Amino acid sequence: MSRRSGRVLDAYGAAFLLLLYAPIALILVYSFNSNVVNMMAWEGFTLDWYRSIFGLTTRLSESQIYVHSTEALLAAVRHSAIVALCASMLSTAIGTATALGLARHDFRLKRVYQGLLVLPMVMPDIVLGIALLIFFVGAGFKLGLTTIVVGHCVFLSSYVFVIVSARLAGMNTELEEASADLGAGPWTTFRRVTLPQIMPGVVGGALLAFIISLDDLVITYFIAGVDSTTLPLFIYGMLRRGIKPEINAIAILLLVFSFVVAATGLWLRSRRQ
Amino acid sequence: MTTLAGSRRLRLAALLTPVTLLLGSCFLVPLGIMALYSFLTPGLYGGVEWNFYPYNYGRVLGAPLGDVEDFDPVYIEILLRSLRLAGTVVVLTLAVCYPAAFWVSRFHGERKSFVLFLVTLPFFASLIIRVYAWMLILRPTGFLNLVLESAGVIDAPLQIIFTEVSVVAGLVYILLPFMFLPIYASVEKLDPALVQASEDLGATPWQTFRRVVLPLTLPGVIGGSLIVFIPAFGNFVVPALLGGAKVMLVGNIIEQQFLAARNWPFGAALAMLILGTVLVLMLIYVLRIGRGGVAAGAKA
Repeated sequence: MSRRSGRVLDAYGAAFLLLLYAPIALILVYSFNSNVVNMMAWEGFTLDWYRSIFGLTTRLSESQIYVHSTEALLAAVRHSAIVALCASMLSTAIGTATALGLARHDFRLKRVYQGLLVLPMVMPDIVLGIALLIFFVGAGFKLGLTTIVVGHCVFLSSYVFVIVSARLAGMNTELEEASADLGAGPWTTFRRVTLPQIMPGVVGGALLAFIISLDDLVITYFIAGVDSTTLPLFIYGMLRRGIKPEINAIAILLLVFSFVVAATGLWLRSRRQ
Repeated sequence: MTTLAGSRRLRLAALLTPVTLLLGSCFLVPLGIMALYSFLTPGLYGGVEWNFYPYNYGRVLGAPLGDVEDFDPVYIEILLRSLRLAGTVVVLTLAVCYPAAFWVSRFHGERKSFVLFLVTLPFFASLIIRVYAWMLILRPTGFLNLVLESAGVIDAPLQIIFTEVSVVAGLVYILLPFMFLPIYASVEKLDPALVQASEDLGATPWQTFRRVVLPLTLPGVIGGSLIVFIPAFGNFVVPALLGGAKVMLVGNIIEQQFLAARNWPFGAALAMLILGTVLVLMLIYVLRIGRGGVAAGAKA
């Protein structure tokens, strides 16, 4: 490739990164703007929006903020945390077991399972959401945190399955055979040989499942009960009522959290490979 | 030996029982019930009556129950609009990501990992926050109008939010990573020696692109297009926030049927139409890629 076309491509790359990050950066800037009337016009630096989220005293009046009590917001954060923890742990166990079963055994229905596991990932969210809604209501389950966790597990297990399977495919089976030859039982072989080797995949899968669960809006939207609002649902509700600067601060805190989790996952993966 | 085979079979059963129970009872059964619902009569106050009723589909496709309701083409219009916008989103994400994938693939070592990390990171940012960012940019008092006005390009704020343009912009932004990753994977696999060989043999850059680079990266392009099209087609969050009541997509109609109108059978029928479209596309993809793979293997 010539130098000139290389330089054009570099300029394009910079523009691409700008497209990815500028919208997020905009929220960051606005979240510190002290202008209460027009958040687009920079007036000065303030932490009031962040303070108001946590219910600290600010110079803001009631009408300028959405969250009159931080209780509703904190409840949403708590619900999201419970759901994401439970759903990611359950789906990590289920997805890992499935990956082990399909990678280490040959049986007639193997292709059927492989195909079935792809479906929840490619299914449009809204279709899965309403199918679960009809099912849960029809079966008489009360909509709440439990139905959200079960609903999330349906598609998260597939993500964990894919990641752990990739790890298993790149793994040397000779070590497992050696372990068996040396008289280790299946459980000991799994715990001492297989598991340590697939651990980066399992941890990576769990972190991905955690992030996706934390972020899910559409499926949760249909299967959440009245008193099980999660954080994305809470934010969606706020946005439908209009934009107030407080949302910037909530958005930035959420972004920082998911970036830290994601960066940890990506770093772990690159380090252990 | 039989006990060994038996214990292996037992272990396989133990490993697959959880996923079988989960996907059987909470995936296949719900989808089956949804399919069933789409053929039932909507009850008066929500709920259903248990008799066969094909008119949920008829209402959309032009064969409604004659005495009760007239055919309203609005649903087919919304379905076609959803298809058209999803197609536009695929074309735009493709146009943005294809050169970007080549840009990233030119880095080496630590720097490549870092650039890839930068490109992947926004993928993990909350979806609702990324849509919100575009509300800030596109609304009448938003960032874009501010910039254009202060630059003297426009006198009055442009009405961009609540138009198809803003829905497409929002969808493109949130779906970029889905297009980037598959294309990047196929660009990485592209052997530079083949490009070199084509140039050495006197091909023009356009010929090299058309005959060597494009065919070899096509699997990534098709894969990316499919996984962008699917969420774009059924999306309801982006049109709800950036399209308002003016740019409704089929996802918004489904949401209305379930949470406001309480006509679940009709909503289920619309969802079945989305699902059917997606499954047809997937089937074409699997069949074509299967054949393409054989052809590529034969050539190699």
